[in-house]
Amino acid sequence: MEYLMVLLLFVVFLQTRVMELRRSVICLMVQSVIIACACLLSGLNHGLMHALIPFALTLGVKVLFIPMAMLKLIKRITDEREIFSDINVNYSTMAAAAFLVFGYVLGSRFMLDPLARDFFAATIMMIMTGLALMVMRKRAILQMCGLITLENGIYLLGLIITEGLPLVVELGVFLDVLIAVVVLVILTNRMSLSFMTTDTTVMRKLKG
Amino acid sequence: MELYYILGLPLLFAVVAVTGLLGLKLLHFADRLTATVVFGLILHMAAEFAAHPHEPIRQGFFYVDSLSIWMLVIVGALYLAFAWTSKAYLERDTNIRYGYLRRFTHLEGRFYALSHLFVWTMMLVVTVDSLGLMWVTIEATTLVSALLVAFKFTRTSLEAAWKYVMVCTVGICLALLGTIILYYGQLQAMGDVLPLNWEFMKVHADMLDHDVAKLAFCFLFVGYGTKIGLAPMHAWLPDAHSEAPALTSGLLSGALCICALYVLLRATAIVMPVVGMDFISSMYVGFGLLTIALAVPFVVVQRDVKRMLAYSSMENFGLLAAGFGLFMPLAAEASLLHMFNHALVKYMLFYTAGTIMETYATKNMMRIHGMMQQAPKTAMFWLLGIVGILGMPPMGVFFSKFYIIASFFQAHHPYLGILALVLLAGMLIGILYHAMRMLGGKPTRKAAGELMGRLDSCVLLLMLAVSGVVSAFAYELPYVGTLLTEAAKVVMGGVQ
Repeated sequence: MEYLMVLLLFVVFLQTRVMELRRSVICLMVQSVIIACACLLSGLNHGLMHALIPFALTLGVKVLFIPMAMLKLIKRITDEREIFSDINVNYSTMAAAAFLVFGYVLGSRFMLDPLARDFFAATIMMIMTGLALMVMRKRAILQMCGLITLENGIYLLGLIITEGLPLVVELGVFLDVLIAVVVLVILTNRMSLSFMTTDTTVMRKLKG
Repeated sequence: MELYYILGLPLLFAVVAVTGLLGLKLLHFADRLTATVVFGLILHMAAEFAAHPHEPIRQGFFYVDSLSIWMLVIVGALYLAFAWTSKAYLERDTNIRYGYLRRFTHLEGRFYALSHLFVWTMMLVVTVDSLGLMWVTIEATTLVSALLVAFKFTRTSLEAAWKYVMVCTVGICLALLGTIILYYGQLQAMGDVLPLNWEFMKVHADMLDHDVAKLAFCFLFVGYGTKIGLAPMHAWLPDAHSEAPALTSGLLSGALCICALYVLLRATAIVMPVVGMDFISSMYVGFGLLTIALAVPFVVVQRDVKRMLAYSSMENFGLLAAGFGLFMPLAAEASLLHMFNHALVKYMLFYTAGTIMETYATKNMMRIHGMMQQAPKTAMFWLLGIVGILGMPPMGVFFSKFYIIASFFQAHHPYLGILALVLLAGMLIGILYHAMRMLGGKPTRKAAGELMGRLDSCVLLLMLAVSGVVSAFAYELPYVGTLLTEAAKVVMGGVQ
């Protein structure tokens, strides 16, 4: 479990540095694989069925379906206006590091167990980094990656502090994530059709 | 058993509509039939329930008490209004007079399917029994309605839908965090029987840990507050309401946001005993009044007719939040009544605004003058609706707004009451100014003539009349008074 967390932190840091769409999605996939393993490990203490269902769902939804849909979308979109901003990358990595520290500060206030504190800090960092990615990135797909990172973080937090939500709710959450990605893929696709780009900064007509 | 029919029929219709098996005529007919039957069943259930108001219905994952019934009636009434106005709207919108929007041609089936699914998810929100499932269904409403907001796939509607999904999903994720924290609190205090079940948690609410409950409440408030459209998190609301097709705007404004408010109220009832009323009440009232204060300037400088209505919705949600936040029986009943009135009147207004847009082929209010001469019937409905939403005496909204303001004074917050009155007056000035400019003056723009049909104007008049009669005689009418009192008790549940 500890090794998984280290790996996870590494992947999230990597995610803040990747600007290329395809690589970013693959990062997301790796991140979800780690979440799935964490699911399996933490669930095994409570019987096999309780571990296998979330594991299988994470694997099916977050590791296979979502990245596949996004990769397919990337192939299809026409991105004429490419954006390169290196400053942005450094800022978001710095922000992620700051969030990790913040997570530890928060963790030491709430929990005493050092192991739990490590996990807690990692999830807080994921949640905050996901938010930061959604705000700082301009391209639709990268914002989607941020959203899934945020969702993964919250899911992991739930896994750590409550050992998973009730099964029905968990199924519902997975269904919602699934539909959310489908909706976002549809919207991004239409966006690339009517704006000829997936840069969300072109959408600034609605104000006031 | 009725509950399963109520929840099954819209889903069935949605599935049939999306397959495209029905012809257009049959589709319109089935749409009306479904909504009418569902609303009839809801009314029947409400009447049966009002006879025994202390026995909530528990079936499987469902839990229906007086508050759920009241919400079901609101959603059902809008569903009915949607079904009986949709044909006129869609036929008008398929008109090829103005080519700048993608028209509904051949997409009626998909539009109907999505709309019915949308109503279905909202009905699920108010009937499920656990906070976790409420979260799931609220998120589902966002996703279904995002496709409706973007339905025409114009550039602006895409922008609105993107913003809507992004802002609301982040907000709702925070609400999930709050739910998880609450579940953690439950595990600590009560063990893992009936996880997140509302009724169970409500009974054992005082066992929760104070800090955990407070933290959970903060996340839930911010999360569901985003969906309600409370002030700092409202960015998505005017965009989504103004860019969606008029019928969807009506449903969004009338039913969706108050569904989120419903979930927030349920969660509040759980954390109330341990967190205490002061903190929760100040959050509700503070953010509520802030929302009204923020909406007023935007209405005054507004040019887009539907955006103006969206900001007026924000004002009403702010007033609702503030009204519920007083946690007094009178305020709670008035706010519940206000939900109903606002839903009916705002749906009617959005429909009329959609008609005006079709008549003048523009959304810019500054270019519309002399509606009285060019389209007198539409103009009359516009005036009635505006007068209705501003809360002038004969209309329903007057009563509910009056009681909410009155309860500010009863709760010994006279300054807040005066502040609310001043803000409402600002709203009134802003909206009336724009509406009067549109109604009077010399026509400067070619209009498409009178577009309001016979059936839809009957429906709109009926909505205004029902809202007026129900609020004026809430306690004289059978069932309504009982339901209101009981629902208010559920809202006030956690207050000791």
